[in-house]
Amino acid sequence: MNELVNELVNDSAPAETPVGAVGADIALELCALSKVYTLKRGMFKASGEIKAVNEVSLRLYRGETLGLVGESGCGKSTLAKILLGLLEPTAGNVLINGQEVDPTRRKDNARHIQPIFQDPYSSLNPRKTVAEIVGLPLQLHRIGSAAEQRKSVRTILDLVGMPERTYAQYPNQLSGGQRQRVAIARALILQPDILICDEPTSALDVSVQAQILNLLLDLKAEFGLTYLFISHDLGVVEHLVDRVAVMHKGSIVELETREKIFSDAQHPYTRMLLSSALTPEPGLGLGPDIPEPAFT
Amino acid sequence: MSILLEVKNLRVDLPTENGMLHAVRGIDFQVKRGEMLCLVGESGCGKSMTSLALMGLLPRKAICTADRMAFDGTELLGLPDKKLNQLRGQRMSMIFQEPMTSLNPAYTLGNQLCEAMLEKPGVTRAEVRERAIYLLHRTGISNAEDRLRQYPHQLSGGLRQRVMIAMALMCGPDLIIADEPTTALDVTIQAQILRMIRELQREFGTAVVFITHDLGVVSRIADRVAVMYAGQVVETADVAQLFASPQHPYTRGLLNCIPVRGKTLPGSKLQAIPGVVPSLVGHVSGCVFRNRCALADAACEQDPPMVNTAAGDKVHYARCHKATAADAVQLNEAA
Repeated sequence: MNELVNELVNDSAPAETPVGAVGADIALELCALSKVYTLKRGMFKASGEIKAVNEVSLRLYRGETLGLVGESGCGKSTLAKILLGLLEPTAGNVLINGQEVDPTRRKDNARHIQPIFQDPYSSLNPRKTVAEIVGLPLQLHRIGSAAEQRKSVRTILDLVGMPERTYAQYPNQLSGGQRQRVAIARALILQPDILICDEPTSALDVSVQAQILNLLLDLKAEFGLTYLFISHDLGVVEHLVDRVAVMHKGSIVELETREKIFSDAQHPYTRMLLSSALTPEPGLGLGPDIPEPAFT
Repeated sequence: MSILLEVKNLRVDLPTENGMLHAVRGIDFQVKRGEMLCLVGESGCGKSMTSLALMGLLPRKAICTADRMAFDGTELLGLPDKKLNQLRGQRMSMIFQEPMTSLNPAYTLGNQLCEAMLEKPGVTRAEVRERAIYLLHRTGISNAEDRLRQYPHQLSGGLRQRVMIAMALMCGPDLIIADEPTTALDVTIQAQILRMIRELQREFGTAVVFITHDLGVVSRIADRVAVMYAGQVVETADVAQLFASPQHPYTRGLLNCIPVRGKTLPGSKLQAIPGVVPSLVGHVSGCVFRNRCALADAACEQDPPMVNTAAGDKVHYARCHKATAADAVQLNEAA
């Protein structure tokens, strides 16, 4: 069934994906990316600076899942917004499939990179039906005829496990898990290479979280997707990702394979994060009170 | 240990456009002095409604009935407001989920901290202030005296939650109801706050009803656990007992769908609970979990009994047709 979607996308889209020799297996590359916000503190005071993202360099290899963990305010979401072209970086650049991203050509970028946001309650338009929401990217990109579009919308909704009776419903009639499935369907309809998952399960109940995580695993296997998985839940990260990048105050402080991070973390901040994660194991207690390590 | 809070057959019904919503459907529990009871469940299972019912803070149109809801021997239902206000804030207090919205932005922290304690007869301002400074200090807030003059917006989320905890402790209550006190906080701050709650609880001998959806948190802080599903308590036991041998299929399902290091293979399929929580509007009968349960059969159309599955004087109740009472098991083994 996904041949159909494939066919649709390939038919009308000019072959834009550069398959250069350099970076053929790198899906996404971030080169010294920075985002600085300036603060005005009054007429006579010097304006301050906040480095939300500070010279971050990362590589996402094709087909891998990279976990990005850190506390709120560490710059995870700013980074995600830059990758999606929703924010312009102060310095540095982003390469998708080896080609530099032009922030003024958002539509082209959308073919390759798509988001799944944290809050399924605010990321779906309440005035459109499920089928309209999922079909909108096809309309915007003028892919296929109306009938073909309807067909691929059905295919993709079926794939994410939405029952047919919900296609004409509005988001407020759906449960949290179903809304997140719709968001995933919308992200996948253009057949992107990379999905940016910004805390996709943190607004969901645990039993539903497991359903969505299973769906993400299935889709990855089926489409060979590359995930950037942003989360603060270390249990989920450990289950899903191949490599972990730990972010603190705008910088990546540690980047390692999953096994190494969870067995032998080097950076004190990573260790503190790991010791604060509460897995359901009674008898372990809350652990010792570790003061926040000092950073320069 | 004597029983501080006793709840029997508590029901909360909310009238909605589509009919009566049975948010809490007859729950029983007891809290002993100095004990930490965790109420755990997913959104919509009635855990917050239970806490609001205990504090008498339910929405006005809600209908609350109970066979018994007694705090230290005083029946709470139908208690006149004046009497209730002498209990609330003084002997039982509450910590809410959102530290951002539960503090009044127009008053200083000192004002808000001292308010409840000044209601006590024969207490001087100086005493109250001293207690406020002491508690702020104990909850890990530096420069306590300066903080009393500050407004809530000048504090971070973690600090605000610490102030809320200090506020709950001001009058030295016997019971604190904590409704998801750490959900809005980062993991590192959450661990600090939980550690502090546990330490202060042990020191002051306060009983705590801790409401959460996070089984990780439950496993680390609870003495006793009550698992809630669709407005009922489906399983209750000591924390070690519950995690070692969960009896209700829902509890087992919940524990299975959380990835745990060493138990779940990374990248493998998680055992999700299929389906969704049934609607609690209108008439609900039989086992509420039967539409998602692998063990369900015709017997589950009947209301399930609450079975004690532990032997001896231990208690481990599960509300399930498939759970076998420990006495019956022993009889079978003897035969």
